[in-house]
Amino acid sequence: MNIELSDITRKFGRNTAVDEVTLDVGPGVLGLLGPNGAGKTSLLRMLATILSPSSGQLTLLGRDPRNPADRREIRRRLGYLPQNLGYYPSFTVVEFIEYFALLKEMPPHLVTKAVAAAVEKVDLGSKAKAKLRTLSGGMLRRVGIAQAIVNEPELLLFDEPTAGLDPEQRVAFRALMRDFGQTATVVVSTHLVEDVGAACSEVALMSNGKIVFRGTPAELTARGEAGQGVGDAPLERGYSAILAAARSAS
Amino acid sequence: MTMTPPDDVDLDRVWTNVAAEVWRRHPGRLERTATRFLRSPGLARALLTTPSLFLPWLIATTVFLAVGALAQASAGQPLVWLIAPAVAAVGVAYAYGPGIDPAWELSCSCAVSYRMVLLTRAVAVFAVNAVLGLAASAATVGTTASAHAAQLTFAWLIPMTAVCALALAVAVATRSASTGAAAGVAAWIIVVLGWSAASSPPGATGVSLTAAVTDPGLYLPYLAVAACCAAIVGYATRPQRGMQ
Repeated sequence: MNIELSDITRKFGRNTAVDEVTLDVGPGVLGLLGPNGAGKTSLLRMLATILSPSSGQLTLLGRDPRNPADRREIRRRLGYLPQNLGYYPSFTVVEFIEYFALLKEMPPHLVTKAVAAAVEKVDLGSKAKAKLRTLSGGMLRRVGIAQAIVNEPELLLFDEPTAGLDPEQRVAFRALMRDFGQTATVVVSTHLVEDVGAACSEVALMSNGKIVFRGTPAELTARGEAGQGVGDAPLERGYSAILAAARSAS
Repeated sequence: MTMTPPDDVDLDRVWTNVAAEVWRRHPGRLERTATRFLRSPGLARALLTTPSLFLPWLIATTVFLAVGALAQASAGQPLVWLIAPAVAAVGVAYAYGPGIDPAWELSCSCAVSYRMVLLTRAVAVFAVNAVLGLAASAATVGTTASAHAAQLTFAWLIPMTAVCALALAVAVATRSASTGAAAGVAAWIIVVLGWSAASSPPGATGVSLTAAVTDPGLYLPYLAVAACCAAIVGYATRPQRGMQ
């Protein structure tokens, strides 16, 4: 298992963002769904080793991130795209991706080719030397995806990756996720249910800091057909049915 | 005649290799030196992206100190010694942090630690400001105000250390560079004015603004403040806070 969470809780003052979550995830693409404030981003930030849990046991890639040496090794093998990714406007696309390849401590002799491969994967070859301040929002998002995948990570974390991408780019990105999911663990937090249906092998649905559903997209769809969910698509009906059940239970 | 590649050639790989050569960035001499010195290409690159080491910032600092040196030479007011710690404190506060680095959150998930980047940048900004301050001080040697030039030239480095450490500690603790800079500058102004007033003999018509720099009795408290602030920075950036 690349991710092992055991009773993980994260509190901010009196507010509990993540509430005793237990989760084991191996290779594949896990879609993390849930309404705003459900705790998805906090959970993702803990997986990215940016945020420490208030309590519980967290193991990533078989290592304990509380140990500095382990944490460093995890980070070398990690790719992360935060929800709000800041950019250095004066950097070019290549410079930005290279910067993060170096911060991830990739061997310097591998960096140049890895950066070129990442740029090609997100289809930004024609903009490789362009300054980031000249790019559109969708292109900047793709730059963010490129820096996340530049080190061929074993654990890949995306927070709202398709925000700002046009439909064609979203299709390409889903294919990229599926490709990485063959060998790595990909966790993608999103509001877009159709992304989950198209790219994820598993779904976890969060509500009020807890995971209230874990299964395949087909199982989520089935819950919608059986329950009282609302929505235009079967997955949306499953999503809303489970959330409604979780809310009435709490 | 049409040329077709052999079947066993991976054209994507060939193209990626070509693109890598075309897009390759050649690090400058400064970055290569920093890489050798720091033994980390990532840390060297992070150092060279320090906002308070960018050329416009350095030019502004140089102009500020040059004006101070000119005023000191012409009017006899010891401005360089008073300006240098405040300017350095602002630079150190703006070296690194959530509001300063656009990609700060992402940097925190990288193998090169937040703490190391912060330390490297703060030390570099301090060193650059110390060199500029020394140059400005050296330019005023021989003026009336620099009668004790040898003492003053080096003495202000001690209060500068304390003020910079305070600015950094406040910036890190509050996660706000502006708050850190304001705290450093405000503390320095209070110390300069307060100590000048306290050290003036009763009935004196003027005050000596250099008292906060020339009084050897203050050196130990300055060093104590610097040590305390360094401890605060160490505590505030401890990995348990956010695994950074």
